Amino acid sequence: MNAAPRKLSLDEWDDRYDELRCSGLSEPSYGGPLRRHVVQERDLRLQHLRYDNSPAALRLWNFLLTENERLHQARAKGDKIVGTMKDLGTIPVMAYSLPHVRAFYPDGAWWTPCLMECSDRLLHQAEAMGIDASFCPVRAMLSAFQNEEHFPCPDLLICSTGAVCDDFSAIAQRLENLGHQVFWWEIPRRRHPAPQESSCKLPGNLVAPRIQVDFVREELQRVRDALSKLAGQPLSDCALAEGIRTANQVRRLLSALRQMVYSSPGAPLPALEMLIAEMLAIHFCSDREETIAVLRELVAEAETRIRQEQFVIGADAVRVFWVNPVADLRAMNLLEEWGGRICGSDYMFTHALDLIPEDLPPLEALARTALADPMVGSVHDRAARIIHECRTFRAEAVVVSRIPGASHCAWEGAVIREAVRKELGVPAIEVEIPPVCDAMIPTLGSRLQALFETASARRQP
Amino acid sequence: MVSQLTREYSQIHEQNATQVFYTSPWIPPEWIKTHGLKPRGVWFTKDPWLNSLPLASGVCAFAEAMVRFAEAQADSAVIFTSTCDQQRRGFDALTAADRSRAFLFNIPVVWQTPAASQAYRCEVERLGRFLQDLGGHVPSLKRLGKEMTRYGQDRARLLDVAQSYSSRQFAESIARFHWDGSLQLPSPSASALMNGVPLAIVGGPLSAAHWDLLDAIETMGGHVVLNATETGERTLLPAFASDHSADDPFNVLVRGYFENIVDVFQRPNTRLYSWLKKHMTARNIRGIILWHFTGCDLWRAEAQTLRETFGLPVLLLEADEKQFCSPRDVGRIEAFVEMLK
Repeated sequence: MNAAPRKLSLDEWDDRYDELRCSGLSEPSYGGPLRRHVVQERDLRLQHLRYDNSPAALRLWNFLLTENERLHQARAKGDKIVGTMKDLGTIPVMAYSLPHVRAFYPDGAWWTPCLMECSDRLLHQAEAMGIDASFCPVRAMLSAFQNEEHFPCPDLLICSTGAVCDDFSAIAQRLENLGHQVFWWEIPRRRHPAPQESSCKLPGNLVAPRIQVDFVREELQRVRDALSKLAGQPLSDCALAEGIRTANQVRRLLSALRQMVYSSPGAPLPALEMLIAEMLAIHFCSDREETIAVLRELVAEAETRIRQEQFVIGADAVRVFWVNPVADLRAMNLLEEWGGRICGSDYMFTHALDLIPEDLPPLEALARTALADPMVGSVHDRAARIIHECRTFRAEAVVVSRIPGASHCAWEGAVIREAVRKELGVPAIEVEIPPVCDAMIPTLGSRLQALFETASARRQP
Repeated sequence: MVSQLTREYSQIHEQNATQVFYTSPWIPPEWIKTHGLKPRGVWFTKDPWLNSLPLASGVCAFAEAMVRFAEAQADSAVIFTSTCDQQRRGFDALTAADRSRAFLFNIPVVWQTPAASQAYRCEVERLGRFLQDLGGHVPSLKRLGKEMTRYGQDRARLLDVAQSYSSRQFAESIARFHWDGSLQLPSPSASALMNGVPLAIVGGPLSAAHWDLLDAIETMGGHVVLNATETGERTLLPAFASDHSADDPFNVLVRGYFENIVDVFQRPNTRLYSWLKKHMTARNIRGIILWHFTGCDLWRAEAQTLRETFGLPVLLLEADEKQFCSPRDVGRIEAFVEMLK
C-alpha cells in the first residue's frame, strides 16, 4: 500500500502497520509492529522517534531491533558467535566467510542506553565496574557482557587495538580483566609514506607504507587462524574472496543509496534511517544475506520516490554533512525538525563503505581496508575526505558531533572545522550528543538553528 | 694531537647539537645521542607548563603542553608516540602546517608477536632517518655500544639507590637522567628512612611541574616507596641482555627496549601488572595513588583493576594544566594517608 513519504510517530506507525497488513504486507521472520520493541524489549526511546513510513523502513527497523534475538537464535542452532570489537568493518567480512559463524559488535551496546532511555542501567553498572562517565557511552558494552541480558556471550572475542580510541582500548582491557578473554590484534597509526618508501594504495584514495600493510596483513593472518580454529575448518583464500565479493555487494548497495539520497534535491529517506542503513555495512547486523535484502528494498524505495519527486524533507532544508555517530538517535530527527537534512556523513567507519579490492590476495585487500579506517589515520586525512564529500554532495554546513567522553573528540573537531572553513568556506560547528539528549534540546536547538540560518543566508538568491 | 683536535671538535659539535625532546621513556635516548644530537626527556623541564592556557574540553594537559612546547621549539625537534589518542591527535594538530621537526613514533601495542618486535625495530630505524634529516650523523655501531653501556650502567645505579632518597629526589634524578643522560645523585636523604605509610604512585607523566605532589605526600605522613610513573623506576630498563662480542648493538638496543616496555597502553597489559606485583609485594605497599591527567582514559580505567588485583585502597589524583597540587588534592592526600595510618 503506497502512501506519500512522510515521517510517523510510533503511534502513527501502529495504524500504518495495520493498514499495511490489511493490504497484504509480506514480512520476514523478524517482522512485526514496531510497538512490540517497546513492550517486549523496553526500547522506550522508540516512542520519541519519528520514522519513515515505508515498508522498507519498517523492515530496516525490525532488522536492527531484533539483532540480539537473532543472535540468540543462531547460538541455539549451533552457530558460533564472534564478538568483534572496534575495527568496524573488517573482521566480520572474515567471520562471515565461514559457514555457521556470525560476527557482531558488542560495541553496538553503546546505543542500548539510548534505546532504553537508560532504564537498562548499563551506564550505572559500568560505573560500578570502574568505568565512569568520563568514558564514552560505549562503556555500556562492559555491563552488557556482565549481565548477559542483551547479546549472547561470544565464543570468541576479537578486539582491534593500536591506533584506536583510548576509551575503547581501556574498556576492552577492563573486560579482559573481568575474565573475558580477548584476542588482540593491532592496526598501527597510519602514516604517510616517506619519499622513496615503498607504499600501497588503500581504499578511499589513501596511501600507506608497504611495511604497515604487511604488518596488518600478518595481524589478520593471526585472526584468520583463530577464526579457523573456532570454525573447525580452515578459512581459505577462496572462501575469503567470496566473503569479500558478498561484502562488496552490501557496499555497492549502500554506495548507490547514499549517492541517490545525498545528491537528490529533497531527501527521499530521512537521516535516521540512512544512519542505520550505513551501519549495516560494518557487520551486516548479524545476517549478511538479509542485509542485502533490506538494502535492496531501501534502494528501490528511494528510487521510486526520486522518480516521483516525493521527499520526506524538502529541497529548502540546509544540506548538512555530519561527522561522528550520535549517541542519541533522536538527534537525527531533531536535525530535520530544525531545518536541516543529511547530505553526507562520516560516522567513523567510512572504510566500511569503500569497496574492498577484489584484484588482490584477500588478506592483503582486507589489510588495506583496515588501514583505511578514518580513525587510525591523521585527522587531516579524515578532513580531506569530508571536504571531498562535502563538495560532491554540495553540503552547506558541517556538524561535528562530539561523543561524550570520547578521547578522539577532544582534538579532532577543531582540526576538521578549520579545514572545512579554509577549503570550503562553509559554516561548521561542534555539538555534543549524550545518550538521551532531551535535556540538551534547547542548547542543541539554538546551535543547530543558528548554523542553519547562517548556511541559508549564504545561498545565492 | 689529531685525536685531541677530533675530541675538541666533537665536544663543540655536541654543544651545538640540535636538541631532540622525547615524550615517552620508550624512545631510546642512546640512539639519539649516537646520531650526535641531544636527547631531552621532557619531564625535567617546567617550560611546557609555563603560561598554561585553559584546556579545551577533554584535552589531556600533558598532550596540550607538549604540543605548545613543540610549537615554541624553532630549532629543536619533538618526538611524540602513538600510544594514546591524545598524543596522536595532538601531533596532528601540531603538524597541520609543518611536520619537519616533529616525529610520531609508532610503538606497537600488542607486544607478544614477532611482527610487533619487528615493527618497533623499523620505527627505531625510521627515527634514525629523521634524526639524520635534522642534521644528525650516520650512527656508528661502536658509539651506540658505548652509549648503551653508559646508559645501562647509570640506570643500574639509579635502580640500586631507589630506596636511598626521598621520592622527590629520586624523581628528579630520573628526570635528570632522561633529560641529558647524566647521573647526578644528591646526598642520601634522611626522609628516605622515614616511617611514613608506604605508598606507590602509579601513572603516566609526572613532570617537574608536579613534583611538589611528592613533597605533599610525605608532609602528610605518606612515604612513596614505589614510583611507577614516567619519572620512576618503571621507566628504568634492566641491563641490556647482550653478549657484546656476538650481538649487533642495534639488535640489543631494540630488543632491550621492546622487551622491557612496562606501560598501560600495552595489550594485554599483563606486563604492567607483573611488574607492579613484584615491586609492590617487595615493598609492603599499603595504598596506591593513581596519578593521571584529565582525559587520560588509559590510566583512569586501571583504578578498579588496581584495587581488585592488589586489594589495596586507590586514590585517584587528576592533573590538569596547572602546576602544583591543588588544595583539593592536598586534602584528598591528607585524608587518604590518615585512613591508612
